[in-house]
Amino acid sequence: MKSILWGRHASSTIGLLAAFVVSVASADVPSAEKPATNGAAGVDPQDWKCALCPFLQGYAGEAELGAQYASGANASYGRYTGIDHSGTYADAGVSGQWRGSDGSYANYNLEDLGLASRDGVVDAGREGRYDLRASYDGQPSRLYDTAVTPYRANGENLGLPPDWVAAGSTAGMSTLAQSLAARDIGYDRRSMSLLGRYFPSASWTLFGEFRRQEKSGTDLTGASFLTQAVQLIQPVDYVTNSIETGVAWAGRRASFRLSYTGSWFEDNNSTLTFDNPYLPVVPGSSEGRIGVPPSNVLQQLSGSGQLQLPWFATTLSYSASLGRLRQNDAFLPSSTLIGAAVPVPSSLDGNVQLSHYAVRLASRPLPKLSIRGGATYDGRDDATTPLAVDYTVTDTFSGSTVTRSRYNQDRVYLDGGADYALLRWIKIGVGGIFVDKHYGPGQVLTNTQEAQSWGRASITPMAPLTFTLKYGNALRKVSSFNAAALPPAENPLIRAYDYAPRDRLFSAFTGAWTATSTLTWTAEVFLAKDDYRNSPLGLHSVHEQRESTTLTWTPRETLSAYVDAGYQRLFSLQNGNSGWVTAPWSATDTERFWNAGIGGRWVPQQRWTVSLDYLIAPSYGDTDTLAGGQPQAFPQNWTKLNTTRLALGYQWTAALQIHIRYTHESYNSNDWALAGVGPATVPNLLALGIQPYRDNVNLFGLTVRYQFGRDNTPARKSP
Amino acid sequence: MTPGGRTRAALVLLLGVLAWDSGAAAEPVLPAAKTVAASDYSPQGADTCLSCHDDAAVTGIFRTKHARPNDPRGPFGHGGLQCESCHGPGGAHAMGETSAIIDFGAKAGASTQKQNAQCLGCHQSNAAHDWASSAHAANDVACASCHRLHAAKDPVLTAATQIEVCSTCHQAQHSDLDKPSHHPLREGKMACTSCHSPHGSTAPAQLIKNTVNETCTSCHAEYRGPFLWEHQPVAEDCTNCHQPHGSAQPAMLKLRVPFLCQSCHEGAGHPSTANTPRGLAGAMPSPYLLAGGCVNCHSQVHGSNHPSGRALMR
Repeated sequence: MKSILWGRHASSTIGLLAAFVVSVASADVPSAEKPATNGAAGVDPQDWKCALCPFLQGYAGEAELGAQYASGANASYGRYTGIDHSGTYADAGVSGQWRGSDGSYANYNLEDLGLASRDGVVDAGREGRYDLRASYDGQPSRLYDTAVTPYRANGENLGLPPDWVAAGSTAGMSTLAQSLAARDIGYDRRSMSLLGRYFPSASWTLFGEFRRQEKSGTDLTGASFLTQAVQLIQPVDYVTNSIETGVAWAGRRASFRLSYTGSWFEDNNSTLTFDNPYLPVVPGSSEGRIGVPPSNVLQQLSGSGQLQLPWFATTLSYSASLGRLRQNDAFLPSSTLIGAAVPVPSSLDGNVQLSHYAVRLASRPLPKLSIRGGATYDGRDDATTPLAVDYTVTDTFSGSTVTRSRYNQDRVYLDGGADYALLRWIKIGVGGIFVDKHYGPGQVLTNTQEAQSWGRASITPMAPLTFTLKYGNALRKVSSFNAAALPPAENPLIRAYDYAPRDRLFSAFTGAWTATSTLTWTAEVFLAKDDYRNSPLGLHSVHEQRESTTLTWTPRETLSAYVDAGYQRLFSLQNGNSGWVTAPWSATDTERFWNAGIGGRWVPQQRWTVSLDYLIAPSYGDTDTLAGGQPQAFPQNWTKLNTTRLALGYQWTAALQIHIRYTHESYNSNDWALAGVGPATVPNLLALGIQPYRDNVNLFGLTVRYQFGRDNTPARKSP
Repeated sequence: MTPGGRTRAALVLLLGVLAWDSGAAAEPVLPAAKTVAASDYSPQGADTCLSCHDDAAVTGIFRTKHARPNDPRGPFGHGGLQCESCHGPGGAHAMGETSAIIDFGAKAGASTQKQNAQCLGCHQSNAAHDWASSAHAANDVACASCHRLHAAKDPVLTAATQIEVCSTCHQAQHSDLDKPSHHPLREGKMACTSCHSPHGSTAPAQLIKNTVNETCTSCHAEYRGPFLWEHQPVAEDCTNCHQPHGSAQPAMLKLRVPFLCQSCHEGAGHPSTANTPRGLAGAMPSPYLLAGGCVNCHSQVHGSNHPSGRALMR
């Protein structure tokens, strides 16, 4: 691909292209539907006073203060809300705007200040000259609050109690029960950014942004000593600092943007060690050590833009990006066994080059015909020096020397489509996508090619009713399969589904009906069928069916209501073969998911606002296996979510509002992988005993909102 | 081509574009002109409009970036055509011809193309580079279908309310957010635009970054690598295993572990084992099925930098 872009004739080609672009400057043909504004003959908008325009001058703001009380809250409800335990939470927020007469301004908006999910934005500047924007966003992620573990955390080490009795299975760990302590698992993600933009003229923008994301807390992981495993609670302490800076230019018929992006990810932990709770299989294997995500650096130079060509309302857009991803964290010793050493070289010096080139064209050669198309190339070139490493199996015994695999990939993506308004009431369209992937040496395939085509018709039999039907198929072909590249002992008949030949059929229906000026109905149906016909083992087929519909009723500005519902069914079939010689097995998975909601908003009087929303969303998962000719069904996995939200607002005075909110959520679930699985349930797995999510939360909120500062130039009628 | 040659070629191309557009660049970046008579416009601009349209549903625009009197790039900047920048010449409308103006929204008399041309006159060069070739343009979506220009706070520009706007059409994706495992859009901590560029992009699915993986790792940088030991589908595309809009499976997986892993792995020994209900708690509990399943041991599925992490177990 690079040779195409940067061949020896590229210089002259680009020069000719530049000359061509300059030449079309003389052909100042306005596009088909350019609006009429500046430059209109005889109009001098400088005489327009805008005396009645209610521009904000001075300061206006709003503060909200109150409290929320939650009963029954836990990690399930608090996952992203931060309301993760029963109790009272402060509910506070402030926002405001200030405008100076010279175009200076400042805005701020801070929300949920009493919760870990608090966020805020402050921006200030001078209109048309520069602006600055600072933001903060807290995102709690509460994972589990039902975990128990005998491990005690001490920095990067997880240790067992001094009286721990190691055994060959969890049943023999006689001090396990007395050693267990409850531990919450979860982390907080905090994102901060600072953006500055300077506008030296109406066409140019210089910009720079700094972003920082912190993620700290704990997460779930696991490890094993040969066939004996343990679930662990891993400390997490990540920081990602990023900058993006560049310049943008916008003209009438062209624009571009050039930027540099750098992103530095740092993991403040270097490893996680943990005591072996089992009897060591070999002497000295009393401790395990796992790796953690290594610090890395991504740097990219990017350019993008568009040209509006003077023919057929044609727009050409383009983007290009060259990047490099580096990673050079020091290796850990190959094991915890005595005498284990750090490999040579002592770090990977990983070097992955990323490239992206894209061009897209859209045109309207006829009033009834629109066409569009594009070509995109994405390359991932792992240029890391080949490395062979002596490895140790699970801190237990030495394995062989293995050479690192490099997963290089070149992807070319071509797509195009056309729509034609055949008659006033019918529009037809066709389109297609062609994806060509080439994989680097040593992978099981050298390339895959997938061609997709589709057709659609949008029909408007009468003005308020429109529906669209779409039908298409896709066929993926692959190169000859190189089974020798599979990992050792992998069955040569397996076909990973992203590498397998695939036939896809899909169809879609969308409908919209505006029955009256106040009533609107929309519906969507999607059907898809994937068949991996040539996969003896692995995923064989996937079928998807989904429907959704919404009815909205807005009889007047002060009243609106909606009803919506959805259904999805996902079915998959896969085949396997235990031990290669025994009878094959198969497994089917059927997932069904419903959601239905009803709600509305009503302003019965000028002072009152009422809103009510109700949602019910159950899901069911059924897994059936056929092994040794014997069908067996797993217990059904299910989830049931019910949420009711009621909000009441009262305008006490012109500046004072009172808000009362009530939320009830009940969530219940069953998961056969978790239900009833305690720390010692599995003989060779010391588990955390995490149980399926359940919550039944009542959340009451009362806040007072006060507005201060008023518009000093309100709109008024002309005399 | 030598590096110097590339630089010269890029410079020539850049100068060419600037020269081509130089006549326009000196002016405020407003829609291109079409010759109209002065009488087509209202006599006093916005003052004419506000003499009738002074309700809050209209004047909310004066809390937005579109109505900044000191910003030469905006319609209310000095010399701007104010309301008529977007609504077109309003002279006839002011004289009582109600249809003689460009209106916006689903019930507008103006065609989608006509509405969008007004917006793109300014924004194609900045916010909507790739609009023309976007899926939204191909489906005749009007800018005003998503944006409420006269609202003091445009709902589509706020994370907490954006999903309600997008789900007007993207109902299936909205349903996905009600699934047990989902990104925090329903909770207002992310927006559709955290990952997608609704105005078009040159990436698949109109993503904000060049590829799926670049988009995902802009937040999940710990999975960026490169690792000593990589997992091929992770290096290729996160959506090989994950459903980013939501899933009934933990961690937004496409299929439940161990069956997801067994879609690709059938090695001699346990990877090829038929996992049946016999392996559940109460029977012959199996670590291949229970708790984390495969990831009880192979916890480093996104890649490992441990010298002994070849099987993603360290």
